[in-house]
Amino acid sequence: MKSKIILTIITVIVSAKISLAGTIHVVTTTQDTKSIAELIGGNKIDVFAIATGYQNPHFVDPKPSYIIKLSNADLYVTLGLDLEAGWSPSLLTSSKNKKIQKGSDGYVDASVGVSLQQVPSSINRAEGDIHIYGNPHYWLDPLNGKTIARNICNGLEKISSENKDFFEANLKIFYAQVDMKMKTWNAAMTSFKGAKVIAYHNEWCYFESRFGFKIVDFMEPKPGIPPTPSQLVKIIKEVQENNIKVIITSPYFTASSSDVVSKQTGAKTLVLATSVGAFESIKNYYDLFDYNIKLLTAGLK
Amino acid sequence: MQQQTPPQQQRVAASANPDISVIGDFRGLYRSYGSHNFDAVFNEAEFSFQSVVDPYARADFFYSVVEDAATGEFSSEIEEGYLTTLSLPAHLQLKAGRFKQQLGRVNPIHAHALPFVDMPDAYVNFFGEEGLKGDGVSLIWLLPNHTFFQELTVEATNVGENPSFERSAKNNFLYLAHLKNFWDISDNATLELGLTGMSGENLAKKITNIGAVDLTYKWKPVRYNTYKSVTFQNELYYSQATLDSSTVNAIGFYSLLNIQVAKRWFLAGRFDYSNNPYSEKFLQESGSLTLGWYATEFQKIELEGKYTTMNEALPENSNEKEFALAYLRWIFLIGSHGAHQY
Repeated sequence: MKSKIILTIITVIVSAKISLAGTIHVVTTTQDTKSIAELIGGNKIDVFAIATGYQNPHFVDPKPSYIIKLSNADLYVTLGLDLEAGWSPSLLTSSKNKKIQKGSDGYVDASVGVSLQQVPSSINRAEGDIHIYGNPHYWLDPLNGKTIARNICNGLEKISSENKDFFEANLKIFYAQVDMKMKTWNAAMTSFKGAKVIAYHNEWCYFESRFGFKIVDFMEPKPGIPPTPSQLVKIIKEVQENNIKVIITSPYFTASSSDVVSKQTGAKTLVLATSVGAFESIKNYYDLFDYNIKLLTAGLK
Repeated sequence: MQQQTPPQQQRVAASANPDISVIGDFRGLYRSYGSHNFDAVFNEAEFSFQSVVDPYARADFFYSVVEDAATGEFSSEIEEGYLTTLSLPAHLQLKAGRFKQQLGRVNPIHAHALPFVDMPDAYVNFFGEEGLKGDGVSLIWLLPNHTFFQELTVEATNVGENPSFERSAKNNFLYLAHLKNFWDISDNATLELGLTGMSGENLAKKITNIGAVDLTYKWKPVRYNTYKSVTFQNELYYSQATLDSSTVNAIGFYSLLNIQVAKRWFLAGRFDYSNNPYSEKFLQESGSLTLGWYATEFQKIELEGKYTTMNEALPENSNEKEFALAYLRWIFLIGSHGAHQY
């Protein structure tokens, strides 16, 4: 009896090891690409995301502990552009993993093929934190999620061609789910086309253009520059003149400035989710938009 | 089934040029001793060029132009210039060229990125203002430890001149080994322990061995990591220098507490304690406080006050054993500069 138990345990361990050996190890920079990768890769992959859902993806600390994950990764998914420029390149170099270096099959730039907004014609840092390739917050348009999924799928197929049909089938399901969800989200936002809002930081342009509301100004006087008293005075005036009901902000900005405007004008401050996992209920990429649309429509009523 | 590729689009800034940046370091200085109490000096301009070379390596160049405060004359040097491999197997990486050596927490970091203006006394007394750097090779191995991060670095260099080590006229290179250990204590807190050992030729043409320990605790809330943080950083050096007729055992350390009190404001307090690598009787102690205002990632202003006592009078301090110093530093950066280590 004892030997049977030992044999069973050994069999379980060995089969688990065999199963793990066949698993594709994916590291993504954010929770959104993790969620999409999981939907495409299913049980063929395991995914670790570096940034949490409530963290500003521009300012992730490149902790050495992430290097352990990167050193064993088969695929690396970056949102690209210059969103993670402050931390992703140094982590990649330190990973000492040639499979995931830029230019290798295991490197996926999720932004390839995305139609970018706010691409500057010239670079001038006097305008604040300007992104040289355009606004990098493109995953906040669910249709761009389809492009991200296509890029991840391509990356997975390059390193695991034997599972191509499996990934392609999941990609089709993802496309269909996004298309179906889009009808619901569009329907919810129909009454609020052109509704004016204030945003804390310039990170909502893709979400804005997809769902048709209008950001008239930002709490930050220039991207990356904290709100100044004169900017708050200007915002308060704009909110009052335009009867603006909502200020949208993100989990990683403190609420003190938006609270000042809210108190003075009665406009509500809504902390929208910028990523999967920003709040407990947002478990996947679809939940991200369910959450934001629900919160925004309630605020704009 | 043919793999689909999303349509490509034209993007700006595509260029074969390396990332180029220039960093200015302008300083004002007050000293309590002597007759020349105030100074203004354009301390340094650092030019950096960084890029991937090919699929196998990247290169980093840092060219420094430094002003001599006493004469106003500038001198320049290649501060660092090295190649780093990207495709060695077994989690190995090789660095070759001139580089700052993998000693503790201060040495590998360029001065403009440190949260204080002057370098710690022990660091200056043992390795000089410019620190420990040399021409040679560095082999870095990421240990296969999945529980916590461990990285071993071994280096052999023709070392740059510094108080502890001299460039050898014989075959004595400086040999260094560094083991970096890093733990995530929680989502918001980390601990790093570094152990370094090095051996090289000293000014008596004999051997100096130095052991160093660095211990750093960082607290940075993930959600509000741009608003608040605390760093408690300590480094200790123990030197054993064999001279013509004696052996000198000297120690030096600093202890730093750096608190981010608001999004743009940092307050750093540091205590320094140091012998001299050739005199264990010499003792220098100091306390300093630095207030930093970080306008953006590209500009910061720091004001530091420092009070020093020492048991021997030195001519460079007008033979004063107790004196005060104050620094004002303005750092400004143009271009694209790579990130510094965590």
